[in-house]
Amino acid sequence: MAFACLFVPDLPVQAIIRLEPELQGKPVAILAGAPPLTKVFAVNREARNLGVETGMTKVQAEAFQGISWRWRSPSQEATAYAALLDCAWTISPRVEDGATREEQDFSDTAVLDIAGCEKLFGSPDKIAHDLRRVASEVGFETNVAVARSPLASVCAAQGFAGVTVIPAGEEGLRIGSLSLEALRIPFEFVETLKRWGKNTCADFAGLPEIAIVERLGQEGLHWWRLARGADDQPLIAKEFPSNFEEHLDLDSPVDLLEPLLFVLNRLLEQLCARLRMHILVIGEIKVTLTLERNDSRNKEPLFHIRTLRPPVPARDSKFLLKLLQLDLEKHPPSLPVTAVRMLTTPVKARSQQLGLFLPLSPDPERLEITLARIQNTVGENRVGTPVLLDTHSPYAFRQNRFVLPEMKEKRSVTEKQTTAALRIFRPSLPANVEFQEGKPTFLSCEGARRRILAFAGPWRTKGDWWSETAWARDEWDIEVRTLRPKVRPESSRESEETALYRVYKDLRAKRWFVEGIYD
Amino acid sequence: MKFVELHSASAFSFLEGASRPEDLVSRAKELDLPAIALVDRDGVYGSPRLHMAAKSVGVRPHVGAEVSVEGFGNRAGLPPWMSNCFSSRPVRLPLLVESRTGYQNLCRLMTRYKLREKEKGTGTATLEEVAEHAEGLVCLTGGEEGVLAASLSNKGYDEARKNIEKLTAVFGKKNVYVEVQRHCDPIEERRNQAAVRLAETLDLPLLATNGARYARAPEREILDVFTCIRNHCKLETAGRLLERNDERHLRSTEEMTQLFSDLPEAIYNTSELSARLGYTLAELGYEFPRYPVPDGETMDSFLRKRTEEGFQNRYGVKKNEDLFERAKKQVERELALIEKLKLAGYFLIVWDIIRYCCEQKILVQGRGSAANSAVCYSLGITAVDPVGMELLFERFLSEERGEWPDIDLDLPSGDQREKAIQYVYQRYGQLGAAMTANVITYRDRSAAREVGKALGFDQQTLDRLSSVVNSGEWRGPSDNFENHFQQVGFDLNHPRVRKYWELCERIQDLPRHLGQHSGGMVVCQGQLDSVVPLEPATMPGRVVVQWDKDDCADMGIVKVDLLGLGMMAALEDCLELIPKHYGEPIDLAQLPPDDPPVYETLRRADTVGMFQVESRAQMASLPRNAPVKFYDLVVQVAIIRPGPIVGKMMHPYMRRRQGKEAVAYAHPSLAPVLKRTLGVPLFQEQLLRMAMIAANFTGGEAEELRRAMGFKRSEERMHKIEAKLRSGMTQNGFSPETQEEIITQITSFARYGFPESHAASFALIAYASAYLKFHYLAAFTAALLNNQPMGFYSPAVLVHDAQLHGLRVKPIGVLQSEWNCTIERSRNKEGKEVPCLRIGLHYVRGLRQSTAEKLVSERQKYPFEGIEDLVRRVPELQKAELVTLSEIGALNALGKELHRRTALWQVERAARSAGPLLDAIPEQMELSPLQQMTDEERLVADFHGSGMSTGPHPMTYCREALSKLQVKRACDLPRVPDGQYTRVAGCVIARQRPGTAKGFVFLSLEDETGISNVIVNPDLYEIYRVVINREKFLRVEGVLQNQDHTISIKASRVLPISITAAETQSHDFH
Repeated sequence: MAFACLFVPDLPVQAIIRLEPELQGKPVAILAGAPPLTKVFAVNREARNLGVETGMTKVQAEAFQGISWRWRSPSQEATAYAALLDCAWTISPRVEDGATREEQDFSDTAVLDIAGCEKLFGSPDKIAHDLRRVASEVGFETNVAVARSPLASVCAAQGFAGVTVIPAGEEGLRIGSLSLEALRIPFEFVETLKRWGKNTCADFAGLPEIAIVERLGQEGLHWWRLARGADDQPLIAKEFPSNFEEHLDLDSPVDLLEPLLFVLNRLLEQLCARLRMHILVIGEIKVTLTLERNDSRNKEPLFHIRTLRPPVPARDSKFLLKLLQLDLEKHPPSLPVTAVRMLTTPVKARSQQLGLFLPLSPDPERLEITLARIQNTVGENRVGTPVLLDTHSPYAFRQNRFVLPEMKEKRSVTEKQTTAALRIFRPSLPANVEFQEGKPTFLSCEGARRRILAFAGPWRTKGDWWSETAWARDEWDIEVRTLRPKVRPESSRESEETALYRVYKDLRAKRWFVEGIYD
Repeated sequence: MKFVELHSASAFSFLEGASRPEDLVSRAKELDLPAIALVDRDGVYGSPRLHMAAKSVGVRPHVGAEVSVEGFGNRAGLPPWMSNCFSSRPVRLPLLVESRTGYQNLCRLMTRYKLREKEKGTGTATLEEVAEHAEGLVCLTGGEEGVLAASLSNKGYDEARKNIEKLTAVFGKKNVYVEVQRHCDPIEERRNQAAVRLAETLDLPLLATNGARYARAPEREILDVFTCIRNHCKLETAGRLLERNDERHLRSTEEMTQLFSDLPEAIYNTSELSARLGYTLAELGYEFPRYPVPDGETMDSFLRKRTEEGFQNRYGVKKNEDLFERAKKQVERELALIEKLKLAGYFLIVWDIIRYCCEQKILVQGRGSAANSAVCYSLGITAVDPVGMELLFERFLSEERGEWPDIDLDLPSGDQREKAIQYVYQRYGQLGAAMTANVITYRDRSAAREVGKALGFDQQTLDRLSSVVNSGEWRGPSDNFENHFQQVGFDLNHPRVRKYWELCERIQDLPRHLGQHSGGMVVCQGQLDSVVPLEPATMPGRVVVQWDKDDCADMGIVKVDLLGLGMMAALEDCLELIPKHYGEPIDLAQLPPDDPPVYETLRRADTVGMFQVESRAQMASLPRNAPVKFYDLVVQVAIIRPGPIVGKMMHPYMRRRQGKEAVAYAHPSLAPVLKRTLGVPLFQEQLLRMAMIAANFTGGEAEELRRAMGFKRSEERMHKIEAKLRSGMTQNGFSPETQEEIITQITSFARYGFPESHAASFALIAYASAYLKFHYLAAFTAALLNNQPMGFYSPAVLVHDAQLHGLRVKPIGVLQSEWNCTIERSRNKEGKEVPCLRIGLHYVRGLRQSTAEKLVSERQKYPFEGIEDLVRRVPELQKAELVTLSEIGALNALGKELHRRTALWQVERAARSAGPLLDAIPEQMELSPLQQMTDEERLVADFHGSGMSTGPHPMTYCREALSKLQVKRACDLPRVPDGQYTRVAGCVIARQRPGTAKGFVFLSLEDETGISNVIVNPDLYEIYRVVINREKFLRVEGVLQNQDHTISIKASRVLPISITAAETQSHDFH
């Protein structure tokens, strides 16, 4: 039994650096959090040496000179971690996700079972060095450790720099020099052990076994064993991924094709390197370009998505780049690009047999695929079920993920529920309303000017005063001659229909709109 | 026809209103509203303030309240699918007071259901109770919180009609108004249409109100923040709990007339109803209780007899005929005035409390201006002889003032004071006596924390912000939110941060909730609940009135302050400990006066733990004042006060005291008044007398002058009285310069001055504490430690100071310690048996008293044989408690060669049950494989587990290294010449930034030999702010100043030093 662990120190920083190799060896700090709560989220060794620490506010950290600042990109972290797992899969099919710690929401370790791999790849030491080399090919500077148990290998990888191979039976000795925290022992045990004056794993391991059971119970015994380098937890292997993805948030928007191709090339190279490890080829490649909006008030992301199916499955980055170039020349993004995501699907197609007696309801997987396709067509975050929000702001809703609704009995419509329905114009129609003595008198909209025959209002709402999205509006319900009259014979013109409209004034923009018509 | 707002709520609706009553009044005045009604939620908390403010600007104040009522269903709530769907509250009836009966009914009604409530703010009245108290009240149907809205929304029109009919049955047809409000809300408008129909059908008058919850529209933001605080949510997620818009502000007649142009009668009815509401708080109907006297006696004759008895005891024994005669005359004069002002009952009631305390052996002493009265002295209320000390009676009581005199009683804090308070409750009934309230308002820190939470800032950032926000008196130019925000790394250009900052500023001084005043009690003849509503206090068995002490005073309600004084409790403990352990009787009234060694100690400023003279500023001035007799101590207590400091009296006095400056008087006629204080006025009484001599004021006029110049200044009143003062002085031939000088002195003094009588009362306690500390150190230290928190220093500092004075302090031990600190006997180096101090178990962090008491009682049966035995016999001991006891070495005595780690090792096993199978088998505790704690580990454990260490001071361990750096010890400083550049280091035990020190910061650093004082100028403080505020140990470099034996280091550099990780404590910015 032998296990290896790949550990990427400061993963959020390395996730950025691997796609921006020019930052290698320079002090880099990652910022996170929406202003004004921006803080330093992670730093690399070089930045740490200059005195920058995680948790500092942006204002405090900016006092340091010569640091390269980047924003945190959880997507880049996720793809970086996926690349790390790929490295592990090059050696062994049995790879386990590293656990995320309480204080961080990403994983930075991958553990693999290397039992039996010696015949294929050589000694544990060689395997460890190979792993490190493979990881460096995808841009990681890693610590690799080989030990008899998964947890021991994780502790060693996190505790010791470079390659560490712990010979069987020496786990206790090597792990012993680590602090209790490195073992990730629960806080209450660490507290007790520190009270006892035990600060390292060796100190802990030196205590008698029975005494530990008597005092710390079975859980304590588990940690004690681990401190001695003995771990009895099995490795839970992770499933091999069905597609490979790379993501890059750009520092500044790119509006020319040439620099964009430079970025695409980087991502393609990374993807090809990863696929090469698994001897796979690209069957389909989807490039999602996030575009910069002109309108800063609208936060909805804007994408330019191109899907490419090479005529023959390929892994040649230059060839694929050419195809992409051709496609993008034909369909260039309309706005500058702020982020690039590249998703590749290996060619192996999955086949699935449907059950003979299954009812003819949408198959969940197919539904997912259909939804994904619709999403691909209409854009991200544009598919789902609308849910009303708890706010005074009119028509505010959020989109929940679409799920098959349960069959429900239809409620009978009672008298109470039959109220006038408002048919909303999307978008609202720009308009103008004239007032006399505080009362609305005329409505002008779509080139028509109508006398207001009756009105109710104003219904005033103001909200979100604490943020930049503050809004305020006055609504009026008015009766006017129909704005869009149906074509009628000349004779009936005189008795033209009237209709009830809702008009509103955006009090901040000082503009009027017709919002909708009452049925 | 003018509109009157008859349904407005203030911030005294506690988080449901956003303006102070005063702001509502001033806005009403601006809008030219003739009257305004304050209708707060379940109380009349803000009514006195509204009343006073309205009186001053000529707006008529109406009284009312929204009363929570059950039986009409719950308030219309949010739809159940909304995320912020909180449990609904019952509807509230807005009630307006028409007559005094109505006011009394309203107070009684609210008292009735408030006293019943189990959780604050949850009480509701039943409809029967409302019916019982309906007379004199006018009922509105309410806005969104009211009956009409709830009925219409829950069950529809018919139910609404039924409920309004119920109200008319309860209040009578002419006393129910159908309320209509317009806040640009369609739902509300639908409700209004139903209301108009109902009013027509039931023939009830319509009444337009704006349901104002703030004075001006922008205050809606504050109300939204309050809503978030109340519902523990963020603005981002509060949704429809927040206001829909900002329409709930006060409106002018024109605006309202336009808004209700379709319902003019609704506007007309406001002024008509306002004219009907004849009641104001001017007719409160408060009466002080009459003291029950035996048949044939009047209260006056009874008081005279009691005073005469006391007079003989007080003055008879002094064998000073002249004093006796003067005192007799004074008592006569006072009694005549008391009789004239009909105050005999008040004196008798206070006397009765004193009598009860004496019977119960509760130490009690009157303080404040009462100590100016010979009657109070004779009755035993005060302990200072006002005639002997030539104190001025008018400061206490005068005919002109027409106010109740103020008597404050100091009692030992804790159970004894509670006993006295309960006695007053028993004597006057639960509805006849109550504590005054204390309105808790938003201050810098609370505002920063709560607004920050509402705006969604994270806890860590808020904690950091709180740590830099000063809570001290001094607010320097940099002590503003703007700077604090920058210090924690906030970008003030960011709109959200800017909003945060702005809201913090705006929310200042708005009421947050109602607390209980520390000791103010009000009593009433008959039913107090018909004067002001009563509420249950958090402490069981106590009730509080809805007004704070200033409001009570404004409304003419008399109050007796029963204040808890930690030092009184300590002195009381000493009275028990000294005879028991020293075998000497002790009587505080008979302490040897002017004991030389005690004064010697005071002159050395060796005053840690002594009452009133232990602060850093007191210590700095004691060597200069060099007290040799009791009166010097009276001056000492009074001189470190804002009055003498702001009035620039301290330094002239000190210079004259040291003979560096000649004694001079502004005018020769003032010499008799100022002789005792070397020509420098230090006390309020002197100011009064100066006015009496210089400008021929009567005693009452002089007191009126003090008040006019005092805190609640009124420009007009001040000018009037100043003119009178000037003309008097001109008449008496005072030069314009002298007049100016006297007026300056009076102005600065009236605000912050200290009454001489009060200083004398405190000086008595200060002397007693100094005497006991010097002669009975063990008992005094034990008493101090047993009555913490009190005073200026932490227990660790008190213990270390006692050790420096030669007291042996023994650590906590389960075989020796009681719950409290105790005195044991031990032999000193000379083999003599001396008392020593044993720290009590109550210093063990987290140890419950009941468990400790069980431990002590088990131990008394027979001693514990080991840890296993302890755990078996005291099963109440929890593991955490055992761990702490082990950590601090309290279990070391339970076995041979047992050290703290062995105990920890054994405790860990003993606290874990072996299971039923093995329970019966006696276990043999093996010795542990653990190493003994190092010195540092012991220190950390001691401070963590008990907040102190009885071992060597942390600085001892690094003295050698510090000496190499030429860091001096505190005890070396007297030998360092003045002006020499010096280094000191120590544990920060106090950080101060007094309001009078212009931004200077004073630090006290403690090392193993004593305390060194450091002065940090404002500029340096700005540079080292974080280090100074946060570090536990500091090294300070600077020039040593030795002026008249007052030694301090004027810091030029402040550095953090790493001595120990122990959690030492300091007393900061109080």
